[in-house]
Amino acid sequence: MSDINTVDLRGFVSGAMDEVFDTMLSMNIELADDGVQADVGGERIVGSVGFAGKAVGSVSIHVNEDFARSISAAMLGMEEDEIDGDEDVLDVIGELSNMVGGDLKSRLCDEGLSCDLSIPFITRGSDFRTETKGWERHESLVFRYQEQFALVDVYVKTNG
Amino acid sequence: MALKVLAVDDSKTIRMIVKKAFKTYDCEVIEAENGKEGLETASKEKPDLIVLDITMPVMSGPEMLEELMKDPDLKEIPVIMLTAESGKENVVQILKMGVKDYMVKPFKGEQLIERVTKIITLESKQSEDQDTSKKYFSIVEDIQILTLPQKLDRPISVEIERHFRAKVEEMVNSGIKKFILDMNKVGGTNVTLIKLIITVIQTCQQANIGIRIVGTSGLSDELKGFAETSEITVDLSIEDAKGAF
Repeated sequence: MSDINTVDLRGFVSGAMDEVFDTMLSMNIELADDGVQADVGGERIVGSVGFAGKAVGSVSIHVNEDFARSISAAMLGMEEDEIDGDEDVLDVIGELSNMVGGDLKSRLCDEGLSCDLSIPFITRGSDFRTETKGWERHESLVFRYQEQFALVDVYVKTNG
Repeated sequence: MALKVLAVDDSKTIRMIVKKAFKTYDCEVIEAENGKEGLETASKEKPDLIVLDITMPVMSGPEMLEELMKDPDLKEIPVIMLTAESGKENVVQILKMGVKDYMVKPFKGEQLIERVTKIITLESKQSEDQDTSKKYFSIVEDIQILTLPQKLDRPISVEIERHFRAKVEEMVNSGIKKFILDMNKVGGTNVTLIKLIITVIQTCQQANIGIRIVGTSGLSDELKGFAETSEITVDLSIEDAKGAF
């Protein structure tokens, strides 16, 4: 079993985001590793999945409503104005977090940190201020697609 | 007779992607939101194939599969499992369940079809396919014309592009060297339209086919606003385009 502190969480998340955005959305996102602060802006939609086992934690993807609609249109093969209401958008962002979380979960399992994945859940709101305690690792990654940003937060600790 | 495919996934997004993947085939895609609903639908509809997600509320994919295997009427139905987890441990577990194949998310519709065709034979909706092709493509004298509809959204663009590639192949084989992209009916520009125009131009150039673009002066002005199409010359009528070849 690998030490959670030496596992390449950033690499895992970055690889998963690249693959999901490229395969499902035909969007080439870039990891904004140049110190840019995530300007997700406006009302956020946050798709999250949790995992529990030898490793416990969560993956959350934050995007603003405009980007969420662009992502949904790309995923469903529609124009943005063809998307009816919020239900489809929320489902797409949930599925996005499921795919990224699923990939991360697999990488953790391959490192000997086996765990199970939860079904995705959605949080929506603005003025996000989070304070967390008790995690061994917290990684925050900012991805850029054209003028839009996606923020991915990962929290992990080992169990027992 | 159309084949029946049962898509069992709690995500409407994935069900829609599966449905779209089979759109051009003679298949009816039935949907269920969880394993329990999937079992009921499978008993009622007797599908030819089940595309089954793993993690679902109410009843998971593995639980549904276990029930399927117990039912003599349903146990022979081939199942393709969908999973967001590609880890070795997970893959081994899936294969032990007795499924025909599995797909790791993310996946493209065509990748799913590739797997499906190893299990069942899919047939294209040929007659319908030919009809939709006739909606957009015509040959006048020795020129192939593609007439775009007033509203071009992504599904229509994908359909047109598919027909277009087949037409280019036909043109190369039959020696037709002139192509007109007629956009006189197009109501306005969008990213989908711009992408399609670029694809058409580049494909024609690669195949050594001469291409002219036809559209209104308003459309011509709009195209100048996009970096990718700012240099394109637009003829105002088919006659002008013919003369310009």
